[in-house]
Amino acid sequence: MKEILGLFIFLPLLAPVSSSFADENAFFRDAVAPILSKHCYDCHSHAAGLMEGGLTLDWQSGWKKGGTRGPAIIPGQPEQSLLIKAVQHTDPDLQMPETRLSDQEISVLVRWVKQGAIDPRHTKPASDTADATDWWSLKSLQRPEVPAIHVDNPVDAFIQNRLKAANVSASSAADRRTLIRRLTYDLHGLQPTIADVEAFVNDESPDAYRRLVDRLLDDAHYGERWARHWFDTIHFADSHGFEHDVFRPHAWRYRDYVIQRLNADIPWSQFIREQLAVDFFFPERTELIPALGFLGAGPYDQSAAATAPKSFEYLDRDDLVTQTMGAFVSTTANCARCHTHKFDPITQSDYFALQAVFAGIGKGDISFDADSRIASQRNHWEALKTAAQNQNSELLLLPENQKLVTEWEQNRGSQPRWETLEPDIFVSTQGARLKRLPDHSILSETKPPEQETVIVTGSTKLSTVTAVRLDLLTDESLPHKGPGRAQNGNLHLSEFELQSFPENASSGTVIPIRRATADFNQDGWTIEHAIDGNPKTAWGIYPKVSMGHYAVFEPESPLKIEPGTRLVVTLKQLHGGAHIIGRFKLSVTDSPNLDVIALPTEAETVLTIPQQQRTPKQQLTLASTILKYRAEQELKQLPGQVKVYAAGAEAVNERGLVKYSQPREIHLLARGDLEKPREVIPPGALSALTPLPGRFDLPESHPESARRAALADWLADSKNPLTWRSIANRVWHYHFGTGLCDTPNDFGRMGGTPSHPELLDWLACELRDHNGSLKHLHRLICNSHTYRQSSASRSELVKLDPENRLLARMSRRRLDADSYRDAVLLVSGELDLKQGGPGDAHFTTTPGPQVTPVLHYDQFDLNRPDAHRRSIYRVVWRGIPDPLMDALDFPDLGLLAPTRGFSASPLQSLVLLNNRFVLHFAHKLAERAAKSETIPGQVRQIILWVWLREPTTEELNQLTELAQQHGLESVCRLVLNSNEFLFVE
Amino acid sequence: MYNPLTRREMLSCSGNSFGAAVLACWLGSESSKAAEPDLNGGLHHRAKVRRVIQLFMNGGASPMDTFDYKPELKRLHGQNLGPKEKPEGFTAAVGSVMKSPFEFKQYGEAGRWVSSVFPHQAQIVDELAFLMAMTTKTNVHGPASYMMNTGFMLPGFPCLGAWVSYALGNLADNLPTFVVLPDSRGLPYNQKANFSCGFLPAKHQGTLVNAASQNPIPDLFADAQYKFARGSADRDTVALLQQMNRQHAASRPEDSRLEARIAAGELAAKMQLSAPEAFDLSRETKETHEAYGLNQKETEDFGRRCLLGRRLLERGTRFVQVWSGPQGAVNNWDNHGNIQTELPPIAKSVDQPIATLFRDLKSRGLLEDTLVIWTTEFGRTPFAQGSLGRDHNRGTFVTWLAGAGVKAGASYGKSDDLGYQTAEGKTYCYDLHATILHLLGIDHKQLTFRTAGIDRRLTDVHGHVVQQILS
Repeated sequence: MKEILGLFIFLPLLAPVSSSFADENAFFRDAVAPILSKHCYDCHSHAAGLMEGGLTLDWQSGWKKGGTRGPAIIPGQPEQSLLIKAVQHTDPDLQMPETRLSDQEISVLVRWVKQGAIDPRHTKPASDTADATDWWSLKSLQRPEVPAIHVDNPVDAFIQNRLKAANVSASSAADRRTLIRRLTYDLHGLQPTIADVEAFVNDESPDAYRRLVDRLLDDAHYGERWARHWFDTIHFADSHGFEHDVFRPHAWRYRDYVIQRLNADIPWSQFIREQLAVDFFFPERTELIPALGFLGAGPYDQSAAATAPKSFEYLDRDDLVTQTMGAFVSTTANCARCHTHKFDPITQSDYFALQAVFAGIGKGDISFDADSRIASQRNHWEALKTAAQNQNSELLLLPENQKLVTEWEQNRGSQPRWETLEPDIFVSTQGARLKRLPDHSILSETKPPEQETVIVTGSTKLSTVTAVRLDLLTDESLPHKGPGRAQNGNLHLSEFELQSFPENASSGTVIPIRRATADFNQDGWTIEHAIDGNPKTAWGIYPKVSMGHYAVFEPESPLKIEPGTRLVVTLKQLHGGAHIIGRFKLSVTDSPNLDVIALPTEAETVLTIPQQQRTPKQQLTLASTILKYRAEQELKQLPGQVKVYAAGAEAVNERGLVKYSQPREIHLLARGDLEKPREVIPPGALSALTPLPGRFDLPESHPESARRAALADWLADSKNPLTWRSIANRVWHYHFGTGLCDTPNDFGRMGGTPSHPELLDWLACELRDHNGSLKHLHRLICNSHTYRQSSASRSELVKLDPENRLLARMSRRRLDADSYRDAVLLVSGELDLKQGGPGDAHFTTTPGPQVTPVLHYDQFDLNRPDAHRRSIYRVVWRGIPDPLMDALDFPDLGLLAPTRGFSASPLQSLVLLNNRFVLHFAHKLAERAAKSETIPGQVRQIILWVWLREPTTEELNQLTELAQQHGLESVCRLVLNSNEFLFVE
Repeated sequence: MYNPLTRREMLSCSGNSFGAAVLACWLGSESSKAAEPDLNGGLHHRAKVRRVIQLFMNGGASPMDTFDYKPELKRLHGQNLGPKEKPEGFTAAVGSVMKSPFEFKQYGEAGRWVSSVFPHQAQIVDELAFLMAMTTKTNVHGPASYMMNTGFMLPGFPCLGAWVSYALGNLADNLPTFVVLPDSRGLPYNQKANFSCGFLPAKHQGTLVNAASQNPIPDLFADAQYKFARGSADRDTVALLQQMNRQHAASRPEDSRLEARIAAGELAAKMQLSAPEAFDLSRETKETHEAYGLNQKETEDFGRRCLLGRRLLERGTRFVQVWSGPQGAVNNWDNHGNIQTELPPIAKSVDQPIATLFRDLKSRGLLEDTLVIWTTEFGRTPFAQGSLGRDHNRGTFVTWLAGAGVKAGASYGKSDDLGYQTAEGKTYCYDLHATILHLLGIDHKQLTFRTAGIDRRLTDVHGHVVQQILS
């Protein structure tokens, strides 16, 4: 009714419009189509490549068939038509477009539908998706011909071919001093020493430079330098960021992993597979588990994870999709979260398929064996333990395992002798009446309390106690004869505690229990629960009531008993419901450990039968008991596991163990809105990149890691056109300061286009076809003339190629924050080259108002030895940056940082001039130089170390005068602020 | 394809370009375009505002206990009208409707309702313009603080002050362009990431000033133990450094970055001369100290920072952000436990200083081109948490603006009868930011920076200038 009423109201408005149309087709064409095109086609048309909710409105069949909600228009019935409902914004769940159409536009649509929705658009519109992949980065990767000009290095052939076309000549090679400085910063992030420089300058062999490249690439400092680039790219840091910016004490193992793998030059495809799914591809290589630190690199909103889990998970997965696709394939997949990508062939469904890849992972600490041999032992014994628990005869009766049982049996002496622990004092804290029976057992009488704690003090004549035995006994007075006092005869022993009281001691010593065994365990209520320190878990014996049971508790080491020492046993029975012990007895033994475990009656019985006469069932009974104990014993002796902050099938964080039984079901979200879930999307990647699969063909039931593995395979595929271009371009970017494509994280239509597309493709092919070796690429590039060119100014290039994209000269670069700090340490003689291990915190902390501490970068003791390691080993606190690093453009790692910025500001100048780090090491540098005798000699020494050259006479005079007036430190402070030191030619 | 502004820094600041304009660009001086007289310092249109002071109430200031009078709460007090299921980001179960324990009265010619916790701001309400139905996308402090500061719920994006620095540069070259004055008791949620310049060049990030410290700007001078970096030693060293850097640059004329470092060094020296005076509050009269509340324990810290903010604005700092309250469970606006006992002290700590700041700016004529903003990251529930507190509520909250270009006494938007959600005139941070930029002479849709393949905006793909509160 409402719509019809509305129509009447607007009828006068429409009257002149309607009269001017000759026929309904014209009405559609002139009045309706423009409205649809203006307001609807952006999200519902072939031309836009966007069919949100499966609906297209650019042809008749589109709205007739409709989308996920059914036909959009019922001709003649505007009030029944979804399209009309949507544009009227009457239903809060269906309001489109976001900004409501004008009343007049709505009334045109209503009239059109009411009059039968005449639509002359019968043919399906052509879609633009055909040429969606017609873009440089998406074309299949073919090795280009190297231009036929006379140079040795193919890189130079491409570069010089282009220069020739522009009628520009390449610059001549830089001098050797410049080259070794450039190369050492580039490959190691370090300044060379003056000794290195002199050796290289004086090396007359023709391949001196090539050998220098090789030497630097073979050195472990290479990995330290290039790992930093990767960490920028994937926003890796040592704390969460967000509201609770909590430290991640185990994040550093991923840092060390990356350094080691880059040094080992593993194939790029393997680097991809390890970081995304090493647990799937190489489960036995547990030492590589830190690779999964990739998945935990980004920020983590601890507060939202606790209070807003749904939106937290959504945004957390979004960050992982952004990181993974940006880092490996330079694709901005995240732009397709709210709508299909406006510029690149990435559908909204593709985006959610990528979210589905990460829909089952937990972020936090993952435990692993740093030594894979230990891991294999752990697996072996874990498997045996499980087999014993499940009575898996196939495994337990294997000869090798039977041998262990026989060994145990042979080593076992006669039955241990148990001496009764005579109870001197025994009290019930709950006031139950305890009665001592003639056999020294104790019976609980009168009305049973809900809970109970019984403390028994006794003494023994033994001089050593290797175990305490607790017998639970039946009694006619108990329900079902006990041994418990619960209605069903059961009991729950929550905790067993043992203390020794030497004579005259004022307090007892708690004796840790290393193992507890019982002849029978109720399902889920095993004897281990009586020594786990958790009062909520307990040992029980149901359904085997009406019979006696016993348990044996072994101290961590045999207990020496001095005369007069008394033993105190506490039996906590806190479960409630009168699950308390009815009658019990305590005894002790000094038998060697292996003998004293409690065996189930069935196993005890088997032992009395000669080996040859035992049935397979009897063998199994014995083996499952003995092998379980053996496995537990072995597992206990293995070295502990270590942790890495990462993400995977299971991880432990502040909320405990994070492990999904099933990956989350991922729905396409209309407009990216969590409140508007549409169809379920299976895991996959980009569907436009045939022949690569758009959705992953995974079996119905698959481990979570299989999804990540499928994405890794998709990324690492030699046919993926993006992967190889992406990394080849990144390598170029770090060597030259600008990539061949200057947007290393975006190869889409909004990104830059390569200055030398053929060269980029050729390098990508080289990388792909040379086992994905980055070092192969470094060698090619560093040995090229292009790389070795001088950076000297050439006036003709200023106008012709102001950004130096043609590379007729080398680009000058300012030291990044890390290189600057390392270089200051190096020249002052204080750099500590120790590699790996936990990070160095260059700050002190005090407690903050909440869990985030307050960081004091200005109170850290710069003389501490761990203040002097390379910057790659410092703790990077995401939300509280180091002011020194910050001033030199160290990136905000809340986001991916594929490139480093450059800035110059008065505040930066003040930091470099006055920050205590610079001043402290200026002082150290002066101390180091003070060994030279004269002031000019000292100044000359400083210049040699810092500028790697002899000072000119004028410089020497000026600096000597400064030193004479204000001390040598002034000279040091000056050179550490000089552009000559801060820039690399 | 690109708007010339889109890649202003990337292109005109590239290392191999040359010229005074480029130098200005590296250093964040006012862009040549912004200096055009008819724009009054604006970038796209004539600016009404040239400087901004933003007062941020950290923790989520309660609207229905301050500026958003809700008589219905009194009527419905004690009834269970809240959502049955705990909404995302609420920290506890939803309690019953809770009336405000504070008395509301009408003030000014407009008869605007203000509660008893803000007696001083009540006296200036006729000069403020209220956004009464602000809303945000999350009930969690971290993302909500990011949102109100950067327009995104995620870390890594530049904040409003950084964008303004990037767009307009400085007003004076002897003081930092963008200064942040955090509560002396600690940093807000997200630590320093709320004042990050994100992917913008580092010079645009907020300069964190510890107003209570002897060295408010870190590294303005070397520590006294380094004698070789103080006094005449410093002067002679820097003079020779500048000379040697010039010699170095002379043979590398195409590289403007070298010049930029030298120029930055000169500006640093100017800052060393000017900043101590700017930060020296003892130059203000006793009356001024008292008006800002420096003589009272409760108001001393916030008052000192407001006064310092005024001195900085006066001397050419472009954007000042003053925070009230650190992160954590106490001393801020996150009044979960007991609104009646937790709100008054924090409200008192800012109320008099804010009213004084406003009057002071006005009497000095600074309000002619200064914008004052009072805001927070989200509101609080009309339902009790426990029995006396209020939980986080992204639904609706209040922001006010005052000063140049703002329609005094205006009000836009309304919350529903409970003050739980917006009812009409809903505004997001996008709209607030678009409006602020508009006043500064910036079209929020044209202020972009290309990063990782996207032309990023402060307002993402949203934002409408709220004309209703503009004069």
